[in-house]
Amino acid sequence: MAVITVDKLCKRYAGATAPAVHDVSFTVVDREFMVLLGPSGCGKSTVLRMIAGLEPITSGTVSIDGQVVNQVPAKLRDIAMVFQSYALYPHMTVHDNLAFGLRRRRVEQTEIDRRVHAAAKKLGLAQLLKRKPHALSGGQRQRVALGRAIVRDPKVFLFDEPLSNLDAALRVTTRNELIKQQHDIGTTSIYVTHDQVEAMTMGHNICIMNEGEVVQMGRPLDVYRNPANTFVAKFLGNPPMNLLQGRLEAQDGHPVIRVAGSDVALPKRTAAALGRHVGHDVIVGVRPEDLYEIAPSGASAQIARLSVRIVAVESLGAETLLVMALDASNQELIARIGRNTAVRSGDRLDIAVDTAAIHLFDPASTTAIVQAPQNN
Amino acid sequence: MNAQLQLWLGQLRRLPLVVFVILYTAVTGGPLLWVAMMSLRTTAEIFKNPYGFPSPAHWEKFADAWTKSNYSTYFWNSTIVVVIAVVLVTVIGAMAAHCLARYNFRGNRVVRFLILSGLVLPPQLLILALFQILLDLNLYNTLPGLVLVYVATHIAMTVYILEGFFAQIPQDLFDAARMDGYSDFEIFWRVTMPIGAPAIFTTVTLNFIILWNEFLFAVILLTDDDKRTLPLGIMHFTGSHQLDVGMAATGLMIAIVPIVAIYALFSETMIKGMTAGAVR
Repeated sequence: MAVITVDKLCKRYAGATAPAVHDVSFTVVDREFMVLLGPSGCGKSTVLRMIAGLEPITSGTVSIDGQVVNQVPAKLRDIAMVFQSYALYPHMTVHDNLAFGLRRRRVEQTEIDRRVHAAAKKLGLAQLLKRKPHALSGGQRQRVALGRAIVRDPKVFLFDEPLSNLDAALRVTTRNELIKQQHDIGTTSIYVTHDQVEAMTMGHNICIMNEGEVVQMGRPLDVYRNPANTFVAKFLGNPPMNLLQGRLEAQDGHPVIRVAGSDVALPKRTAAALGRHVGHDVIVGVRPEDLYEIAPSGASAQIARLSVRIVAVESLGAETLLVMALDASNQELIARIGRNTAVRSGDRLDIAVDTAAIHLFDPASTTAIVQAPQNN
Repeated sequence: MNAQLQLWLGQLRRLPLVVFVILYTAVTGGPLLWVAMMSLRTTAEIFKNPYGFPSPAHWEKFADAWTKSNYSTYFWNSTIVVVIAVVLVTVIGAMAAHCLARYNFRGNRVVRFLILSGLVLPPQLLILALFQILLDLNLYNTLPGLVLVYVATHIAMTVYILEGFFAQIPQDLFDAARMDGYSDFEIFWRVTMPIGAPAIFTTVTLNFIILWNEFLFAVILLTDDDKRTLPLGIMHFTGSHQLDVGMAATGLMIAIVPIVAIYALFSETMIKGMTAGAVR
């Protein structure tokens, strides 16, 4: 049982003009797996290190189960951490690496052996206990690092980009293994990554950070479907959301967006929220999967069309990405369509847009004006 | 035929290297061989024919050197002084290097500069001051006094070598040890020292060899015969009072035994420590 509360956390390094972390607040409930997601240098690892007690806190508080732990040294916080580099002691065997933390805590030798062997069995390391880290593969090292955290049976797990040193194939299997372990053990966890796939697949909740601040928090699919601003829209999703310059107008009382000379009528239910933006420029966001070469049947009322020229066709096997330029303005956008397409580079096309999935952002503040309705 | 020609050309290309190695071996190994031969001959035989072979070989000279010529005292004096000095300089130097490499404290750069500036100080510059200080502390003409001087003068090089190595140990290892519950001092002993072993062996070997052969400080700061270290003891036989070249050569052969042993034991680790980075 552990609840972590981070309240108005700030970190400013000596001599730095801007704070590395500014006013970060969130709560991770018991047994939750929270993912801190953001680009390199956004301050997510600094937040994790402050929670771990490895980095002094400039202001704000970190609480575990309601107790502020700002002044509690790392070793007394009952937190285990898995590092990006695994941080295995190179002069110790796998067994000693796993037992190192328990020995310091004066756990009896028989209990140490029991816990080490149990963790080794669970992680498939039983045959490797006498090896030293240099004789292990990347995946095995990663499992030893995880085992070192598990044997301590801590209140909280912290993960600092633990998969980023693995190759692509191993990353997928290790990711699934981690999800399974967390499900079995159920310890409250915070996981830092810059990889959106890890965030989407692993987290119960994700917290997106940029330039030291929290940009948006929520369940992965909610955040994906309703990005709070253009940063999240661009950061989540691969390829990212298309962002186009447009202008919001009203025609016969209905909201219409003018994009590259075409008028796109918006669904009526969004009209009320748009009132004060009519007559102003907006940023129009469309996910690549909401653009269609052939409009899906049964949704004709919500389809608009944009004239485009195909710049490139990227066939990925399971699907095809179309890189297109809008005829009128030359703005580029990407569509994710089926694998069986006859479209060729240089072709002209009227690409179909699902207007119900259109996002609108304020160009000045970059925040969302109206969020697309959830189509569960 | 063509293949043979290529083989021959390949060997010809290596000829300059082979010639260089032979010359280098002759220049360095020649004097050693000469002293080894002299160590088995009497001074009278040497004066008669300086380059002669030891025939008959006087092996008893080694026993005489040890028992009659005071070499046992010189040897033990050297051993005590050098072993204690090397242990102290290694432990103190490693602690200093760990702090400089790991902690970003106020004045870090100034402390580093002050310690490392010791690298460029010529020893001759220190002699007068050291003489006066040891006299004031009643440590002149004592072995502990010489140990202190050796530690002080070799800290700079030790810190220089160790800090470079320790700085390459990833910070994550120290953070992991902190999360595992270890204090800063325990982390030094249980993480830095074992991982830094190759660099530690390097400094131990270098300091041992340099201090074992040290002459300048010893000749100024020790006066009693029963406190002399080996280099002084050997010089005693070729000084103004007596000229016993044969016994000096025997003493030299005794003196180099520990150096050769240390080098044979640690040379591989030392080369690794000087060339490789920290284990990741």
